Amino acid sequence: MHEFPVWDVGGFRIDFSTWGTIIVTMIITFALARLAVRNLSVENPSKMQNFMEWIIEFVHNTVASTMPLEKVKRYLSLGLTLILFIFISNLLGLPFGVVFEYSEPNAFLGITNELLEKYHGHVHIAFWKSPTADLSVTAGLAIVVIFLVHYLGLKENRKHYLKHYFEPFPIFFPLNLIKEISKPLTLALRLYANIFAGEVLIATILMLGLWGLPFLAAWQAFSIFVGGIQAFLFTILTMVYISQATIHHHDEEEAH
Amino acid sequence: MDKFIWESTVFAIVAFLVLLWLLNKYAFGPLFAVMEKRRQLIQEQMSTAETSRKAAEASLDEQKVALEQARKEAYAIIDQARSTSTKQADEIVQSAKNEAARLKDDALKDIESEKNKAIAALRTEVGGISVKIASKIIEKQVDEKSQEQLVDQYLKEVGSK
Repeated sequence: MHEFPVWDVGGFRIDFSTWGTIIVTMIITFALARLAVRNLSVENPSKMQNFMEWIIEFVHNTVASTMPLEKVKRYLSLGLTLILFIFISNLLGLPFGVVFEYSEPNAFLGITNELLEKYHGHVHIAFWKSPTADLSVTAGLAIVVIFLVHYLGLKENRKHYLKHYFEPFPIFFPLNLIKEISKPLTLALRLYANIFAGEVLIATILMLGLWGLPFLAAWQAFSIFVGGIQAFLFTILTMVYISQATIHHHDEEEAH
Repeated sequence: MDKFIWESTVFAIVAFLVLLWLLNKYAFGPLFAVMEKRRQLIQEQMSTAETSRKAAEASLDEQKVALEQARKEAYAIIDQARSTSTKQADEIVQSAKNEAARLKDDALKDIESEKNKAIAALRTEVGGISVKIASKIIEKQVDEKSQEQLVDQYLKEVGSK
């Protein structure tokens, strides 16, 4: 399989494939959003504006399905950025790959002698992938979300937020703790695993050569679908977690 | 793949936050504002439509009242006209009757006076003729004295008739 170019700068490792594709994703996302708001109009929106408003409407409905309507507006930007960034990230690795073969050690690309030995003198370095196919990136996103969830829970709903760790009985504290820890873990791993598996399968199908073309087409189409689903899932789970931490449901508590 | 590069995690966090800030400031902020403005515009238009609908309803009611008023007035005018015409017709008939009665009276008076005139004329005529007849008969049979007696007697008889 491929290795990724990692530049070691005095102990600080820079993964070119990850950094590069994250920056590309940011540029695409921002360019898309800017294109949509180029000629803003109240009465006669352009097609791009309509498209972006449709996305906003969609995210608005998604967020509104998890929390009271008046709270939605605060998290709309977060949800939009999440869904756009993750969706574009997921699609980024699909259309092509950039792979070079190296047989010389290269400190800049993190090619060491051990690595060369592992691959019998020829190492394939991939410069292009979905940033979300890297667990380090999805972990970053999950950390942002989980930090926000606990911060908002402590800030806006302190009493019930703290109390919920000991419910329904204090003995449940370890279980609740595991639940809270599993949230960011599942968030990061689900996204990473789905997208990474997709890329692995694409790499595998590519080994089939020309015969793999129909499979590749089918799988790439399915990967677009998976990318959309995962972006949507990440966003809605974020909103569900925020909603759980910040909103105290009276009737729900009585029902338990 | 098999190693977790925490530097990438930090970069991803920073990149995501920067993107969130950029999008919020340069894309979503203005777009939200426009959507909000559109919402207000639609609300305004709806309330305007509501007011104009109410105004239209009010004016319709007003017109209905005005129409009813006009209809009542028209009926009153027709009634008045009808009664006026009846009165006038009665007056005309009455005056015609009066005229007719007057004409009849005049005619009767005329007839009476003509009759009297005719009677007077006839009396004179009959007197003359009887004198002539008598004189012709008596010329031959009686003297003048008895003739006069006879004439008077006849005249008295005629006058008494």
